[in-house]
Amino acid sequence: MKRLFLSVAALALLGFGGFLAITRPAHVDAAAVAALTPDPAQGAQLFWLGGCASCHTAENAEGDARLTLTGGKAFVSDFGTFHAPNISPDPTHGIGGWTTAQFADALLHGTSPEGEHYYPAFPYPSYARASLQEAVDLKAYLDTLPLSDRANTPHDVGFPFNQRWLLGGWKLLFLSDAPVLTADLTEPETRGRHLVEGLGHCAECHTPRNALGALDKGRWLGGAPNPDGKGRIPNITPAKLTWSETDIAEYLSSGFTPDYDSAGGSMAEVVVNLSHLSEDDRLAIAAYIKRLPAVE
Amino acid sequence: MKTTLILAAFGAMTAFGAMAQDAESPFKKAIEIRHGLMLQLASDMGKLGAIAKGEAAYDAAVATRAADNIAAIASVISLDQFPAGSEANPDLESFALPEIWAKPDDFSAKIKGLQDGANMMQMAAAKDGDAVKAAMATLGGVCSACHKAYRQPEN
Repeated sequence: MKRLFLSVAALALLGFGGFLAITRPAHVDAAAVAALTPDPAQGAQLFWLGGCASCHTAENAEGDARLTLTGGKAFVSDFGTFHAPNISPDPTHGIGGWTTAQFADALLHGTSPEGEHYYPAFPYPSYARASLQEAVDLKAYLDTLPLSDRANTPHDVGFPFNQRWLLGGWKLLFLSDAPVLTADLTEPETRGRHLVEGLGHCAECHTPRNALGALDKGRWLGGAPNPDGKGRIPNITPAKLTWSETDIAEYLSSGFTPDYDSAGGSMAEVVVNLSHLSEDDRLAIAAYIKRLPAVE
Repeated sequence: MKTTLILAAFGAMTAFGAMAQDAESPFKKAIEIRHGLMLQLASDMGKLGAIAKGEAAYDAAVATRAADNIAAIASVISLDQFPAGSEANPDLESFALPEIWAKPDDFSAKIKGLQDGANMMQMAAAKDGDAVKAAMATLGGVCSACHKAYRQPEN
């Protein structure tokens, strides 16, 4: 009996060890990062595409204040309350002390410099589709932004969700850098897919989630409850969104709908971000959106 | 100009009045007036938007007239059409948030933003289509900034 117990315990330990080994936080290839030349001007475009300011600035920041990534906004979820961290280049309170490889680990793999898993409240499941070059460019741009010495607020997450090693299993199930829309796409549509499914992380709000908080790829961009609480984030597949490509591109530039109403809610801020992109990129986003499978 | 504006606002008031005839709110008139102003704004934005999207060729006369109208409406909008208490009311199709009266100075600053944006559009309208497109993004940002802070989402 005792021997049986010991065997089971040994197997369980082995299994647990195996789980940790399989799901340990992933890293980028530091040599590959070192071989790339950072382009901070390109990084500025990626900063707006990624919408970093939407979560990492202080509440209601406008104008130049949207460049100080002080963190602190709270995000209430079914799993607890997450607080956006300071990602300004401050070496102590922000991420100024990070190497570019550490930044790429965070962006593309959801791995912290301490080698822990990040919570996917940080939308790395989308950012994972960005390229290593994009991570390098973005870091170079973030390094040029103003410093903030605001200390981070710890997340308020209860058991079992406070066990970060469990996120290794979550990543194993749900983290993938493969494209979602696999149809035969034109060049602008392919560019649009890279923008929307990657750094643009549109699906994080526009796609519903399963019980474990992962995006339901079968209802991709088909609308979802508003994470801020009230109402719904709209379905932007052709089942509901019937605007022309130029209408969509104009909306992403000025926030005007075809009826000349203006974007509201969190989308207003997304439009401010996307207005910094090139018109070609906004048209590419529109081209991709028109190709989405309709979600009824 | 002002006459056109008043006529437009009056026309829109009548339209909205028909929809809200059962409501006996003391704010009915103020809400109808602001709806009328917004509808006229949207109509003029539409003329400039068509140029920005390349659906209509740039025409200095059309663009200038639309931009002048927007500037005129912007000069009319004030807290006068937003009397305290005239907040979100489904019967009157109002989505105004009570934050307007908690932060009247900021609300007025947002209106000033619309006036500045309209002046920028007037300059752009006299120039060319590219300038109209750029000014459209600025003006859209101004509209959204106020709607985000002071208008209840409709969904």
